[in-house]
Amino acid sequence: MRMTPVVSVTDLGKEFDGVWVLQNVDFNVYPGEIHALVGENGAGKSTLIKILAGIHQPSSGQVYVEGHKVSLDNPKQSEELGIRTVHQEINLIPFFSVAENIFLGHEPKNGRFGIKTLNGKAMREGARDVLRRLGITLDVNTPAHSLDASMERVVELGRVLIYSPKVIIFDEPTTSLGEHERKQLLAVISDLRKTGLGIVYVSHNLDEALAISDRITVFRDGRKVDTLTRQEATLQKIISLMVGAKGFQGCTTARSMPVGEPCLEVNRLFSQKLRDVSFKLSRGEILGIAGAVGAGKSEVGNAIFGLDAFRGEIKVFGNLYQPHPTRSVRQSIAFVPEERQKQGLFLNMPVRANLTIAHLDRWAKFGCIDHEKEVELTSEYISKLRIKTTGHKQLIRFLSGGNQQKVILARWLAGDFQVGIFDEPTRGVDLQTREEIYSIMHQLSNQGKSILLLSSYVPELIATCHRILVMRNGAICGEFCPTEDNVQEKIMAKMLGGEQSLEDSLAQSH
Amino acid sequence: MCLFLFFSIASEHFLASRNLLLVLRQMSMLTIISLGFTFVMAAGGFDMSIAGAIGLVNIVFALTLAATGSILLAVLVALLVGMLIGSINGFLVAYVGLPDFIGTFAMGSILYGVKMLATRGNPVFIDDPSRAFLFIGQGHVGPIPFPVILMFFFVAVAVFVLGKTQLGRRVYAIGGNSVAAMYAGINVKKYRLLTFVISGLSVALASVILTSRLGSGQPLAGGDFLLDAIAVVFLSTSMFGEGEPTALGAFVGALIISIMNNGLTMLNVPYYFQHITKGGIVIAAVLLSTLLGQKLRIKF
Repeated sequence: MRMTPVVSVTDLGKEFDGVWVLQNVDFNVYPGEIHALVGENGAGKSTLIKILAGIHQPSSGQVYVEGHKVSLDNPKQSEELGIRTVHQEINLIPFFSVAENIFLGHEPKNGRFGIKTLNGKAMREGARDVLRRLGITLDVNTPAHSLDASMERVVELGRVLIYSPKVIIFDEPTTSLGEHERKQLLAVISDLRKTGLGIVYVSHNLDEALAISDRITVFRDGRKVDTLTRQEATLQKIISLMVGAKGFQGCTTARSMPVGEPCLEVNRLFSQKLRDVSFKLSRGEILGIAGAVGAGKSEVGNAIFGLDAFRGEIKVFGNLYQPHPTRSVRQSIAFVPEERQKQGLFLNMPVRANLTIAHLDRWAKFGCIDHEKEVELTSEYISKLRIKTTGHKQLIRFLSGGNQQKVILARWLAGDFQVGIFDEPTRGVDLQTREEIYSIMHQLSNQGKSILLLSSYVPELIATCHRILVMRNGAICGEFCPTEDNVQEKIMAKMLGGEQSLEDSLAQSH
Repeated sequence: MCLFLFFSIASEHFLASRNLLLVLRQMSMLTIISLGFTFVMAAGGFDMSIAGAIGLVNIVFALTLAATGSILLAVLVALLVGMLIGSINGFLVAYVGLPDFIGTFAMGSILYGVKMLATRGNPVFIDDPSRAFLFIGQGHVGPIPFPVILMFFFVAVAVFVLGKTQLGRRVYAIGGNSVAAMYAGINVKKYRLLTFVISGLSVALASVILTSRLGSGQPLAGGDFLLDAIAVVFLSTSMFGEGEPTALGAFVGALIISIMNNGLTMLNVPYYFQHITKGGIVIAAVLLSTLLGQKLRIKF
């Protein structure tokens, strides 16, 4: 099979503001091959596919298409060279048929008499042809809104195939698919290699990567660590490559588990995403929940704070609690949301208003905000947390991500919370702030505050938590003590893999 | 400012103090309506029911007054009806989840229908109107018309509430980022409903003034106020600060619209031309603010 790779890159690197997010990467994909990219968030796999798609331009290195040196200055150029991406999001028009969606923006036309009309027949035939190549039986007149999730993705794939690309990049194609639909889609992708396409497959799900790919390249900290062939690759091996030699071998400083009374109890939580989640959080404890994107950890936080509907029982300080965001704040529950810009910040408001918004009544008299107290308090937290800002009047949107996050932390610190739900509190935050946030969490724990830390970054959980639960597909699938041996590998194996049935069932479907 | 100068030069009557007081009196109702609208817009909402609401309150007020003769009772009923209309708007939009435009637009249509049913299209005359009733819209304190005093009072109240209170802060927070407001524990639905109640109340107040000025219930009254109020709030949003509507902005916006109406009338420009200028102002204001990179937060 060793011919010219359809796409290859040599010594590829990408720098943003002096930080190299990708360095010295050699990578290639052959016709008829599925090449998976795996690695933790921020390991560099997204940057690589964005360079291939022409969205980012490399700071160093070369890209070759079928052996020819090319430069990918914009997405259009990359598409013209035959590189196409199937994105995570679905962008179908609900009331258009499968055929119309596949040919959207590229409709075959009749050009007679100087008037262009859509050629519906050619469109339907083209769509049938594409589906036949994919081995899918589906009526091309079906409206998109009646498709199931895996067929929606097949249509997205069809949209790409009509351009006869040489390489298809799949970016987390199975996110938010149910088990059955996921298998169906993987079978389609797996079959696609017969057409001689080169396929780049990005996923955080290692089972999938193992099940369908011919080679797997592991990224860590912006570098390619290794490329394994299907025969060499095992779950254990991939995880140890992802973690690296300096992986946490358990935490050295023994952390005595606080033995306070439980202040948060979650019993048998079910929701659209959650399946039977139960745990207890004690006074002064930092409890971690590890999980990849879509594992359901944010949904646990949302349910407790009162943002999502659920079935089950939540107790706060021993009392049954019916969550609602407003009540939660009154119950001294704090929530640092995952998406800072969307869920946390009031970008058109100053630092001061962003800091005091959750507990306005504490420094208000008869509904009037005490301006002096508010300024005083803001200044206090600006200096306490070393927030870099020109002052309480500065609009929050001009602060860096780390400093914005500190303001959100201060929002809850000022309210003197008892139970904190921190959802990915260090995402998009610089290293120094990250350390500062960890130390704030330790201080809070020493003061008897309890924290539920939801994170996909395992080293952070090991460094801060007393106990770590692992979630996958909406259920808790393991509990670890951060001082165990090889705890990082163990957690990651639970988070990312361990589903033996997937490969077998794929084999059966062939 | 430019408008002011332009009309001062173009029409010799414009600058007469009598005319300036007239402008203030004419704008009082529009300002009060716009203040309520400002609350709704600050929370990221929109109220299309203004014209319907002002008309219905006008009739209800006149009918109550005609039936009971009690000005106090009639004002109370009028304000209650305004708040009820606002509550229904708020319920439809915040709790049922209808888009603002659709919920309040439909509500406006219903209010119009109710008004027409109640009056069969005939005016409601108030026999022997009391002095207290006429004073609301036509009276003077010294040289200053009473509606102007009311207007300044409510501008001050709105400036204070929006700028200095928890309510105002939370309303702006919801308008700025309703998701983040929810994550900060703000009861978004409750406050959105409240802004519609405030809008309904201010519309009712303006309608009381209008009724007093007309001396009767007029089935066709109030039609222009929606477009005027929209123009005012857009002006306010695009002229001031961070693209947020403010109470002071509502006042200045209403002043501009009223000077424009008054000045054009003095220049004998046909009445319908005013509609064209107002439409133009809305487009210009939105374009201007888009060019300045501010996003008007209107949810369709």
